[in-house]
Amino acid sequence: MTGSLAGRRVLITGAGRGLGRGVALACAEAGADILVASPRENGTETVAEIEARGGSAAWARCDATVAADVEGAVAAAVDRYGRLDVVIHNATSRRSSEPVQLDDVDDALWQEHASVSLRGAFHCAQAALPQLRARRGRFIVMTSPAGIEGSVMLPVYSTVKGALRGFAKSLAREWAPFGVTVNAISPLAETPAMTSAYEQDPTLQPRLERVVPMGHLGDPETEIGPAVVFLAGDSAGYITGQTLAVDGGRFMTL
Amino acid sequence: MVLVTGGGAGIGRAIALGLEDAHATVIAVDGDLASRASTEAVFAEARDAAGPLDAVVHAFVDPAALASEPLVETAETDWDRRCEAMLRAALHCCQAAGRELSARGGRLVLVTPTIALTGAAGLVPYATAVEGMRAMAKSAARQWGERGITVNCVAPPVELMATARDAPDGLALTEPPLGREPDARADVAPVVALLAAEPAHFVTGATIPVDGGLVMAP
Repeated sequence: MTGSLAGRRVLITGAGRGLGRGVALACAEAGADILVASPRENGTETVAEIEARGGSAAWARCDATVAADVEGAVAAAVDRYGRLDVVIHNATSRRSSEPVQLDDVDDALWQEHASVSLRGAFHCAQAALPQLRARRGRFIVMTSPAGIEGSVMLPVYSTVKGALRGFAKSLAREWAPFGVTVNAISPLAETPAMTSAYEQDPTLQPRLERVVPMGHLGDPETEIGPAVVFLAGDSAGYITGQTLAVDGGRFMTL
Repeated sequence: MVLVTGGGAGIGRAIALGLEDAHATVIAVDGDLASRASTEAVFAEARDAAGPLDAVVHAFVDPAALASEPLVETAETDWDRRCEAMLRAALHCCQAAGRELSARGGRLVLVTPTIALTGAAGLVPYATAVEGMRAMAKSAARQWGERGITVNCVAPPVELMATARDAPDGLALTEPPLGREPDARADVAPVVALLAAEPAHFVTGATIPVDGGLVMAP
């Protein structure tokens, strides 16, 4: 394949559906070989779609909350492709879009969010650094406008997504001497999670579209994916510790 | 009546003393914030002893969270203690404060060192927690505005969070514009007191660095 990620090997967590699948498709379209890491077999559907378009992809069953699973996914990428250049930690709790009052947050809900987003990021970083260091690679985490400005509906999601920005900034400082960049992307994307949030609150879609200057949510593959491709590629080597908002102008305070 | 978590030592104690300097009545607590039940018990005991709370300051930090170590060498148990346990404590504190303050409204202030804004090599787990706390504060501010509760963050340099800790490397290109490092009691506590007092009633979801101008957020 030709393209800005030709010859790059990219592992994406949570790429079985939604935003992760769209990002995987965009990276494959840009020429990357993809390791789809997902806990369920819907990862094979992402692989099939990439292969149907002439790209290269493989699936590893990977629950990001389990260190051995993440190590296994990194090993699978190295077995298949010989190396790993980019890790994108996109996985998020299946309860991410479940509205909750802070008063009602219990241990189980907290653990759902923290284990996938935060423990998962920790596992990805630990498992991938030897590969990324050898390749002067890229580590990208998915945050959210909720992680930047808080969220009245999703306070726990907001907390862990904000935490991932702290993670990216600090890890960027830690890994800069190795030539590895660490960045966050803050997407506002049309995803199954957003669709379910719309179903629970029918007023959400028109309200959101009013406050997004571009007037719509981003398409994962064609509007969010290209920003990930850019940060994953050679031309973004001097960008680190940043949050790139890909949100139709929702957040402009920086 | 202001409740200060982590008020028995370190920055919590300094802030408690500084709030008293500012003529607040302070109850400094040092109890267990590891579970929601234990945290609510700490708050209930304080309220029963001192009367209804007007403000809560979450200054607690586990000194272990300030240990500097490359992330790739960090054990999973240490990740949990330095990062996720600090977030759980903040969540429990917010929940207990939300409950105590709901009837009359009130003020919640979280102490979130500036490494949340700048990042810090060696302190990835704690910096992750602190940036998460800032987002938690904003979300709480959005949910609880209608109850008359404001939620804000005060950000000192991370060295103030524990005694005898060196500043992380690579952050300060210059000396602080105000010429010296801040003192928790004399410099940080008055800003906490301001946020807990009447004139700040329309400020919520904000983070105010109190570091002599070292970090100037965009």
